Amino acid sequence: MSFFKDRNCYLKNYNLTLIDKIRRFNYKYLFLVCLVVMIGIALLYSAGNGNWDPWADRQFMRFLLSLSLLFVVSFINLRFWMKYAYLIYGVGVLLLIGVALFGHVGMGAQRWLNLGFIHVQPSEVMKIALVIALARYFHGAGNEEVRSIKFMIPPVLMMLIPVFLILEQPDLGTAMMLVFASVGIFFVVGVQIWKFVAVMGIGALSIPVLWTFLHDYQKKRVLTFLDPERDPLGAGYHIIQSKITLGSGGIFGKGFMEGTQSRLNFLPEKQTDFIFTVLGEEFGLIGSYFLILLYVLIIAYGFYIAIKSSSFFGKLLAIGLTINFSLYVFINMGMVMGLLPVVGVPLPLVSYGGTAMLTLFVGFGLIESVFINRDMIIGRRRSIDDK
Amino acid sequence: MSVWRFDKTRLMHQRMAMLGVVFGCLILILMGRIFYLQILQGDKYMQLAEKNRISIRLTPPARGNIYDRNGLKLAENIKTFQAVLIKEHAQDINQVLENFQKLIPLDVDEVERIQKEIKFKRAFMPIRIKDNLSFEEMSLIQLNAPDLLGIQIEEGMTRYYRFKEDSTHVVGYVSLLNEQDMEDDPENPLLDLPGYRIGRTGIEQSMDDILKGTPGIRKTEVNVYGRSVRVLEEQKPINGQDITLTIDSRLQSFATDLLKNEGASAILANVQTGEILMLVSSPAFDPNLFTAPISVKDWNQILNNEKKPLQNKAISGTYSPGSIFKPVVALAGLENKKLSENQEIFCGGRLKSGNQFFHCWKRGGHGHLNVTEALMHSCDIFFYEIAPEIGADKIIQMAQKLGFGSLTGIELRGERTGILPSEQWKQNTFKEGWRTGDTINLSIGQGYLTVTPIQILKVIAQIANGGKEISLHLIQDTSKEHPISDLGLDPYHLRLIKRGLSMVVNQKKGTAYNSRFEIDGKTMAGKTASTQVRRISLKEREEGVKSQEELPWKYRDHAMFAGFTPVNNPKYAVAVVVEHGGGGAKKAAPIASKILQEALRLEKSDAHQNRLERR
Repeated sequence: MSFFKDRNCYLKNYNLTLIDKIRRFNYKYLFLVCLVVMIGIALLYSAGNGNWDPWADRQFMRFLLSLSLLFVVSFINLRFWMKYAYLIYGVGVLLLIGVALFGHVGMGAQRWLNLGFIHVQPSEVMKIALVIALARYFHGAGNEEVRSIKFMIPPVLMMLIPVFLILEQPDLGTAMMLVFASVGIFFVVGVQIWKFVAVMGIGALSIPVLWTFLHDYQKKRVLTFLDPERDPLGAGYHIIQSKITLGSGGIFGKGFMEGTQSRLNFLPEKQTDFIFTVLGEEFGLIGSYFLILLYVLIIAYGFYIAIKSSSFFGKLLAIGLTINFSLYVFINMGMVMGLLPVVGVPLPLVSYGGTAMLTLFVGFGLIESVFINRDMIIGRRRSIDDK
Repeated sequence: MSVWRFDKTRLMHQRMAMLGVVFGCLILILMGRIFYLQILQGDKYMQLAEKNRISIRLTPPARGNIYDRNGLKLAENIKTFQAVLIKEHAQDINQVLENFQKLIPLDVDEVERIQKEIKFKRAFMPIRIKDNLSFEEMSLIQLNAPDLLGIQIEEGMTRYYRFKEDSTHVVGYVSLLNEQDMEDDPENPLLDLPGYRIGRTGIEQSMDDILKGTPGIRKTEVNVYGRSVRVLEEQKPINGQDITLTIDSRLQSFATDLLKNEGASAILANVQTGEILMLVSSPAFDPNLFTAPISVKDWNQILNNEKKPLQNKAISGTYSPGSIFKPVVALAGLENKKLSENQEIFCGGRLKSGNQFFHCWKRGGHGHLNVTEALMHSCDIFFYEIAPEIGADKIIQMAQKLGFGSLTGIELRGERTGILPSEQWKQNTFKEGWRTGDTINLSIGQGYLTVTPIQILKVIAQIANGGKEISLHLIQDTSKEHPISDLGLDPYHLRLIKRGLSMVVNQKKGTAYNSRFEIDGKTMAGKTASTQVRRISLKEREEGVKSQEELPWKYRDHAMFAGFTPVNNPKYAVAVVVEHGGGGAKKAAPIASKILQEALRLEKSDAHQNRLERR
């Protein structure tokens, strides 16, 4: 079979019918994703003191919308994304500039763009667009090219432009995620490890300089992270209460809807960034580990799909989006457990919030697309490929 | 597959594997952290979560009432109404406060306190604006309710003393907690109770543990704003126990009136049982002033009164007993066989001991007297003569036996022992030996000796009841025994002394003859005393001693009288001390007489009442 499949791949007009696509779709992967979303909705129901309103019902509607978007994205030909990769990235950058000029201020930061019919958060768009653009850039690069510093200048710029625009908003969490995701892709395509070490060294030395560029509230968050007791009723309150909520769960937790910390509002914003602690409080160590297991499976599937993909574009897309997803998990969990400063990164698929869910599902759609088109070979250069 | 493609795939898969290892490590760190927080530190965080969630409030118990012997309430709890402000119900807090002050003016201090509480208290917690609203104030608030959004009238409890100043020094008062209390016992959970009062003086203070009761506990679940969500556990408060006193409030009021404007005290007790029926110290003050924070004006008025209204003179005033000590000396002489019934001594007006002259209060002297006559005339020379014969130690022994120099054990705080001097005591205090002059001074109750009115009462009562030791008490408690034991004195000697004391009142030449009475054949016996608070110089003595009325108040003698009635079968003993009152016969004896007469009159009318009821 695989022999024929391989033959097939080299066909110039590698086009799968819809039936093929439905057949090649990875349902186990989607099931894992949906299971996590369901856990999230259950937690939002509990966080709303046993009410669908105001969070669980809306989250469910967004889930349905996101799910349909996932299918649409996954059925689009992988070549489409390859072809329009830079265009998508360019639109993303324009939206970011737009938000800087005409953006809608909310929660102390300028992140939203009102397009009349819809509110768009361009930084979310950029999380996908940057991965697509970098995947496109490194798709045809040979190992030698990647080793040259000159070759690395454009992708680094591709990363830095949106990062600076997003830092301006200001949104440290998203900017950090873009940097980490890009660095992850650089790592996977084979940039020498000493370069990462060198950049990290320079970065560490320049921390005092960067510090001066941080906004006051960001400085405060970092300081509070380092010592929550500094301000136990102000900024440190979050971290302290977060740890109490999580820690008080014990092994088995207090039971569904029995979490006192969340029910009695000791934990602000429990429905968004701190939702993991609600799980920890109500389902204890068992529940926390179960969710982590699901996340590990989703991430492992991402790696599996990247390895399975025949095209470098597909590999990079899948691994880049998986890194992105993993970063959400690590940063959010590290944050609520007091290992990282509170930077405003939601727990993927679980935290209340529409934009993040949509972005994630578009990402999963793309990963599914990579899986569906796993046998597609995309040529090194466009000319070769399209001939 | 081209070579570059193969190489690149291999490198990428290698790198993905490395990345996978890194991610695996991160996952392990997260899992380890969860393990640390939930398992290793789980108990700590559980406790912190419980502390967040559970609010323990105390519910105040009702304080026990204090009754007099006839069941009248001396201290009780009454409802009060107070205006409170609840922030979350007010739209413009400052405007509301301003409107309130237009209707009911507030002290500057109070406004300051209210402003502070507005800043720190939570939106739904009531802030006390004004206590003890009168009905006028309440209706004013209700009429202007639309301008006072957020102001509510709340019911509270306060202590009320119906008899006002009549019972102040027995019952005492309670007051709100102050900063000192917080320092003394910062752990006391009751400190958080608004409106909780503790006993400060009198029975309220000494019996606080019984009266205060045990607070209830109300465990509620609260949300982050402190608002109670549900009650988890409730333990009802145990109210304080009532206390019934041996006091008769009618006598209290009667004596308070008699002593008005004096710095004085008067105590009346049943000589057979030791029950105190009346204990008055004057001037008194209205204890109700203290239940709410006392105003600065009232406080200064009390503090600046030179007659010291805050002092309970009956138990903590110490005085030289003067002539009231003479029966003790006489008894010591009789008991020690240094004095006999018919032994006569000549009083010539003065006595020389060493190179010092001791004078009798009567310039010309009394001539020949025996012991009863000496008591009747209160002759100083008689006692000057016999005291060295008896010896100071024997006199002191007798004084001690009868109750001087030690606490009576009355259920009030602040009782003082006074000073019962002795050779040893003088050596320790002044590094000087005891001299005959000291014995002579002691013989007429002057010198170092000081006693309290309640000690005087105990001594006179124990002489009256025929030498039975009683323990004076204020609380009627059937479960507590007040043992009565025999002092081991010769009844005949006591009868002799009592005959002398009766002559003081009932013989024409007796010092208290003007205060005599007879009700249904019952008469009074007793002893007067006028104790000097200044030394009379030789020069003045020659020019003629100034009369008491000529002297400024502070230099006048203390006037005292200790007595009992009826003479034949004594029931009531009384001790009266009027500070700087002039003469005991003139000032103290009439008061004592009136009090005893009132006690007899009340006994009679009560008995009559009882007979009517029984019928």
